[in-house]
Amino acid sequence: MRLLIIGSGPGGYVAAIRAAQLGASVTIVENNEVGGTCLNWGCIPTKTLSASAEVLQKARRLAEYGIECTGDIRPNLAKIMERKNKVVSTQVKGIRSLFKYRRINLVEGRGRLLAPGRVEIEKRDGTKEVVEADKIIIATGSRPARIPAFPFDGEAILSSTDALNLGVLPKSLIIIGAGVVGCEFACIFAEFGVEITMLEMLNRAVSTEDHEISELLERELKKKKIKLMTSVKVEKVERMPDGVRIVLEGGKELTGEKLLVSIGRHYNTEDIGLEALGIQKGERGEIQVDTKMETNVKGVYAIGDVVGGMLLAHVASHEGIVAASNACGVERSMDYSVVPAAIFTSPEIGSVGLREHDAQTRGLKIRTGHFQFRSLGKAHAMGEIAGIIKVIAEDDTDKVLGVHIIGPHASDLAHEGALAIKAGLTAKEVGGMIHAHPTLSEGLMEAAEDVHGMAIHAVNQ
Amino acid sequence: MDPEDIKFHKEHTWAKVSGKKATIGITDYAQESLGDIVYIELPETDIEVTANTELTEIESTKATSTVIAPVSGLVIEINEKLADSPELINEDPYGKGWIAVIKMDNPAEIDDLMDAEEYEAYVEEESK
Repeated sequence: MRLLIIGSGPGGYVAAIRAAQLGASVTIVENNEVGGTCLNWGCIPTKTLSASAEVLQKARRLAEYGIECTGDIRPNLAKIMERKNKVVSTQVKGIRSLFKYRRINLVEGRGRLLAPGRVEIEKRDGTKEVVEADKIIIATGSRPARIPAFPFDGEAILSSTDALNLGVLPKSLIIIGAGVVGCEFACIFAEFGVEITMLEMLNRAVSTEDHEISELLERELKKKKIKLMTSVKVEKVERMPDGVRIVLEGGKELTGEKLLVSIGRHYNTEDIGLEALGIQKGERGEIQVDTKMETNVKGVYAIGDVVGGMLLAHVASHEGIVAASNACGVERSMDYSVVPAAIFTSPEIGSVGLREHDAQTRGLKIRTGHFQFRSLGKAHAMGEIAGIIKVIAEDDTDKVLGVHIIGPHASDLAHEGALAIKAGLTAKEVGGMIHAHPTLSEGLMEAAEDVHGMAIHAVNQ
Repeated sequence: MDPEDIKFHKEHTWAKVSGKKATIGITDYAQESLGDIVYIELPETDIEVTANTELTEIESTKATSTVIAPVSGLVIEINEKLADSPELINEDPYGKGWIAVIKMDNPAEIDDLMDAEEYEAYVEEESK
């Protein structure tokens, strides 16, 4: 079976490897850099920068930990970026060597569907080649959305991609959009000493999270002196000789040296030949697929950001595995019931499953349990006490339906919650399991116990 | 011993009245129970607060808790120093650790508060 994959991001490259494991002969086409957004302009570079910010934050607190330091502590952006580029290139090489190991044929160029089973590849040198395949997976991803009124110029008006390649730290940065990307960048650059103002159209930061989590994040942003303005609408953006000027609805004006626009992402569906095959798209321009990740055209699958839904690397990878399996004749369906998510703000956020406000809209009766990191010995030992763990359980069955965490290592801790939901465990079962001391995991045990008001180390509830 | 010229709310806040203005903060007992204060969310000026409701939140190494307004009125001044030095509340809860000044809507609310002696007895009872 000859499989052709367009796009080598976390969806495409994982699909390629899985298909190769299942015996397919795989060709993967990449127009930009192997690893896609996640590896080159998304998850990995952001996390590398946020690691530098975290070290800087710790370094500034050395005295608290009893460490003496006589020299200056300051970020060197050029070196931070150098480290980031090195991390990215190591990972890119890693994927390339996995391709070699699996005998996956990587072709660098732009893939365009011509007809079922036929894809044209326009190579970087301009030459074109037509490749035949039995099955095709479209994994072209997404890119930062831009608003026509204020296009990215890479100088003063930045996309997240531009922000990851800044040469010099600006004195001030205005961020439009206080979602995941906006908040992550705000935390990173605030730590580097940049004065941050965030503008959000909705009434809260990270509005997709449980409201208690976003409220706590908002307070942590305030502690970092990040200015967050919610429920505001940007009316006008103007380039000035020394930066940007922004006019809000109602006439209020603000100025900053640079502007980062993080208002969402745009599906990469143009110029890939969808029309030639009559592949159906949804209301928002996403490619429509069934639970097998197959489009309306038999043998053509689509995965990752380009199919919409949750634009997460790990969801894309999983969709890739499902599509590759089905393409290779191993039937699998995509299950989105348990999708943990991580936001690398400071402190970080890890969440999975039902949020409290969802329960209300869905008419579910729930109980919640909370536990504060500051009640954990380990959190004090680490010097990281801000944050909460929240467990949501169904009222009558006690089954864990959601776990929401903001605090140190939240993104890792959330996975115990994910497993509990997947396995259908009750809050009593999670709270009744021995958790090692001293660890942050004890917090999840306590929060699960708190669902029944039985947390041992809680005083103020 | 709590100072004589200030009044106490049962949620462990205090008010020191001067004309129509009340300077408010949390009590020595409150700071003692909270332990090291690491952050206080400073209220904004020009907002209306109502007695017996949440004015703001305070975080210590042990807990996060709400600060209940002892009187109603308009917040006209806040103690900006607490932004960088929340420990002032521990060090001097009735002095440098003041939180806000409220222009009172209803000065009669002061009569609902306890004096130092009553508060001391109240705390003693509560901590039994």
